[in-house]
Amino acid sequence: MRRSEVKPLDPRLLRQVRAARSYVALTALLGVASAALVVVQAFAVAHALAPVVVAASPGGDGVVDQTAIVRWLVVLAGAAAGRAAVAWAQERYGRRAATRVVADLREQVVAHAVALGPRPPAGTRPAEVATLATRGLTDLEPYLVRFLPQLLLTAVVTPATVLVVLGLDWVSALIAVVTLPLVPFFMWLIGTMTAGTSERRLATVERLGAQVLDLVAGLPTLRAFGREIGPGARVRALGEASRRATMGTLRVAFLSGAVLELLTTLCVAIIAVGVGLRLVHGGIELVPALAVLVLAPEIFGPLKRVGSEFHASTDGLAATARAFGVLDTPAPSPGERPVPRAVGGTLVLDDVTVRAPRRHVDAPARLSARISLGTGEPGGGQVVALRGPSGSGKSTLVLLLLGLLRPDEGRVVLAQAEPADPVDLAEADAAGWWSQVAWVPQRPAIGPGTVHDVVTDGRQVPQESLDAAARTTGLDTVLADLTSGWQTPVGLGGVGLSVGQRQRVALARALVGAADRPVVVLDEPTAHLDARGEQVVLDTVRAWRDAGRTVVVVAHRASLMALADQVVDVEAREVVEV
Amino acid sequence: MNHDPLVRLLPLLEVRWPRVARAVALGTLTLVCAVGLAAAAAWLVARASQMPPVLVLSVAAVGVRAFGTGRAFFRYLERLASHDVALRGMAALRANLYERVAQGGGNVVALRRGDLLARVGGDVDDVGDVVVRALIPGAVAVVAGLGSVALVGVFLPTAGLVLLACLLLTGVLSPWLASRASASVELRGAAARGEVSARTLELLEDGQQLRVSGRLADRHAGLRAADARLAAATDDGARVSGVSAAIEAGAQTLAVLGCLLLGIPAALAGDLAATELAVVVLTPLAVFEVTTTLPAAAVQLRRSRAAARRLLELLPPSGPSAPAKAAPHAPGGVADEQSDGLSLVGVAAGWDDVPVVAAVDLTVRPGSVVALAGPSGAGKTTLLLTAAGLSAPVDGQVRGQGLFVAEDGHLFGTTLLENLRVARADITEAQAREALAAVGLTEWLAALPDGLGTPLGTGGTDVSGGERRRLLVARALLAPHRTLLVDEPAEHLDAASADALVEMLVALAHDTGRAVVVASHRLTPLGAADEVLLLGHDGTPGAPARVVARGTHADLLHEVPDYRWAVGQEAAPA
Repeated sequence: MRRSEVKPLDPRLLRQVRAARSYVALTALLGVASAALVVVQAFAVAHALAPVVVAASPGGDGVVDQTAIVRWLVVLAGAAAGRAAVAWAQERYGRRAATRVVADLREQVVAHAVALGPRPPAGTRPAEVATLATRGLTDLEPYLVRFLPQLLLTAVVTPATVLVVLGLDWVSALIAVVTLPLVPFFMWLIGTMTAGTSERRLATVERLGAQVLDLVAGLPTLRAFGREIGPGARVRALGEASRRATMGTLRVAFLSGAVLELLTTLCVAIIAVGVGLRLVHGGIELVPALAVLVLAPEIFGPLKRVGSEFHASTDGLAATARAFGVLDTPAPSPGERPVPRAVGGTLVLDDVTVRAPRRHVDAPARLSARISLGTGEPGGGQVVALRGPSGSGKSTLVLLLLGLLRPDEGRVVLAQAEPADPVDLAEADAAGWWSQVAWVPQRPAIGPGTVHDVVTDGRQVPQESLDAAARTTGLDTVLADLTSGWQTPVGLGGVGLSVGQRQRVALARALVGAADRPVVVLDEPTAHLDARGEQVVLDTVRAWRDAGRTVVVVAHRASLMALADQVVDVEAREVVEV
Repeated sequence: MNHDPLVRLLPLLEVRWPRVARAVALGTLTLVCAVGLAAAAAWLVARASQMPPVLVLSVAAVGVRAFGTGRAFFRYLERLASHDVALRGMAALRANLYERVAQGGGNVVALRRGDLLARVGGDVDDVGDVVVRALIPGAVAVVAGLGSVALVGVFLPTAGLVLLACLLLTGVLSPWLASRASASVELRGAAARGEVSARTLELLEDGQQLRVSGRLADRHAGLRAADARLAAATDDGARVSGVSAAIEAGAQTLAVLGCLLLGIPAALAGDLAATELAVVVLTPLAVFEVTTTLPAAAVQLRRSRAAARRLLELLPPSGPSAPAKAAPHAPGGVADEQSDGLSLVGVAAGWDDVPVVAAVDLTVRPGSVVALAGPSGAGKTTLLLTAAGLSAPVDGQVRGQGLFVAEDGHLFGTTLLENLRVARADITEAQAREALAAVGLTEWLAALPDGLGTPLGTGGTDVSGGERRRLLVARALLAPHRTLLVDEPAEHLDAASADALVEMLVALAHDTGRAVVVASHRLTPLGAADEVLLLGHDGTPGAPARVVARGTHADLLHEVPDYRWAVGQEAAPA
């Protein structure tokens, strides 16, 4: 059963998130303080009230020890201040800690997801991790702010109060101790009996909801056809059906809450009546009787609030479990061998094979090639085209050459005349290789910053070089449409750029950063470009080659292929099961 | 006129007040049980201490037990009753919103955006939640709170006033502070939250290229800084909500203290019986349960109000209670037989009176095809929407009616036949097969497991990009409209299928005598069109796009160098 696997507090959260540890410690401390205050308050009320009740009762003498009463009233005022202070601290620091825990976890999850590489396993793909890291982890806040403190309070206040009651009146303590285990038992019983029904009903509710959304999503289409009026009645009918199904679920879901409430309130009532009846026979003094009366609801208070925040816990725990699911996915271990200079070297593909995800295909399959890299001197450049039908593994090959992906079989090696020992990219220090490579992917990352900052990448570049690069890459026409030209902010919070415009910015950046990144990798640069944009790419590739750089380009069109000094044919092969 | 968006939206919820009253009554009974339990137990213990005959206590003992049992019972019924009210409200709101937006020419263009669609669902839930989380708890708190004050006040009026004052602290001041704190966190944190999301998405989507370019550490630092700003905003809010929590926690003890201070002298003076003193002092311990839900209620009320405001924006500007206004000219509808074809005279099309494309003259006759070409952003889609009457022209005149066939037309989660019947309710199976054959889907249809009865869309059979486009064209052919306005029929298709689809459209227009305007960024297949309008910018920044050239495909090839070059590039073998 799933229930048994769910722990109310994931130990990994305490192990790996420092902010969570200090928060739990603080909350536990405040829990102890609030338990103490509950007890103090009960004693103060009982001691202040009891003598007056006795004195004012028929046959009482109407005289009380006023200083004693005043002392207890002062204690009570202190308890009021103390309770306010504890609640303030819990709210004040609870929220702060919760945001820190979420931020910490988000950072770890995002960093780890990126480290998993371009082909992460199911459950850790960017879209999935993005949902988790933004919306999903937000569910942790109510869990941390509301559920967890109540859970810790239950762990501290409930036993402490029971112990105090035991000291005052063992019969009342016995009643409470007998009732307490009944609460989880009945909740479990109801949960087991109704699990199937409510899940079936929930599925119905979701299906009905999806149908309504489908109709709303199709509204523009219906309107285009002039057929939008009819489905209104259908939306209404679906809503009514959804309400009936939901009410069915709720009737069951609220049952466990009702049982929890019935057991706890009835228990308080039984304790009160029991105390009253024993008072008549002198079985208990008035002061402990009043204290027990005030304390009895506090035994169950935190437990009831845990119950009412239960949904916050399930959402929060689910988010935590998914976050650690990502963090526990092993990332490829980074290599450490230093990488030689790329200029004048050779990239050797040695019988390289990558199994395509979820397809019985090797793409690329058993690919061997020697790619000579440019000399870095003007005229010594190289254009290497990767050619093959779609699905043959060209993009995969790009990831291999970048060292982002490791081949399932074979190896990718960077060889230099000096030192003679070639370095397998799988064992190489990736940062050393990446610092020599400029990669312009299909959808380049831009910003945040001004166009100028993005293109220069923080280096000092003369304006003439920038303008020349802008002319070559077609960035000049993009700049003409931007109000502030080179100083226009782009990326986060800036002007949104289309894919074509982003690509021109990225091309210009790779063009300006000539010397320090001698290898340029272009992935399908013409896929999203119109005919004019393609010419820009051709010009840019020529400019790179003229500067002595090596351009590795996934080529789809003849125009680009015609530029190539070397063509690498990429093929996929179906896997034959032996 | 009331400007509170929740109040304005209320008629659409079709609230039935007797049901609300029932839920409030049940909620009040729940709290009566809670307070009654405390009061009866206090009386019982105080009276018992006077050692009377046990029989005297029996009524109170039964009362305590009854209150203890009744509370859970009433609470269960109240939760069901209030959720029933809320769910009815949400169902009615969803249906009413749908009808108003559908009929009223409300902001359907906004609905084309996916994120907005998703939000509508959430907003409806938020408005519905106001019933369960704010309205009913609020009403219950007022009734039960005043009842408790009366109970204590009967015995000792001044103690009643103290209790009232403390209840006002927890019931009014504390919720007000909580709501203010949550508003400030949401307002100040919204930018930070948005930035955190954007940076997270960027890191995840572009993570691999950031690793290669060496900017990864930089972006991680950016995310950390954004998270720190979010934390600071939360922290500021927590300062206020901390005060709210402190008031809530301290007020109860304060009320007990106040009642003791007033009750003890009264009891010693003989104005208050010992049993009554116990009731006056111990009842407040239970009363504050009345107001515990109110801070959350205040926060919910504010959230629901914001949701209501967003929903109102979707409705026609005349407001939800006014009759729906007609669209500029009735979109869709059965075509007006007298005005076959379509003509645009000096039309400027755009949004909010800002033209995206201007000065377009265009005439398309039955059986002929006009193509709109040009780069993305030249206003091809906007012009088609305007020609279809789905958007009012910024300037100029549209004569005739056309059916807009969107590039992302919706396939409903129902059968293939029902999807085609969206065009016209009375389509027979034979007509459906004929239309599918016309777009070359006969083989595809034969391969479907249940033929025309095969479910499509969400949860149904997957439809590939090319099949989907053909299906949308087939559906358009089944509609009564004689003019079709087809937007990028070949988007996301490979070159060969794209050209085949556009050529098929042209052939269909010629064969069936329909007038067709087709927008396409691929130029090669436009050779079959009767006229091509090339839209583009003349280089003035910020100016709307215009028709930069027009004529047949052959004319443009001959006269416009850019066009010739672009077509030549498309023709290069892949």
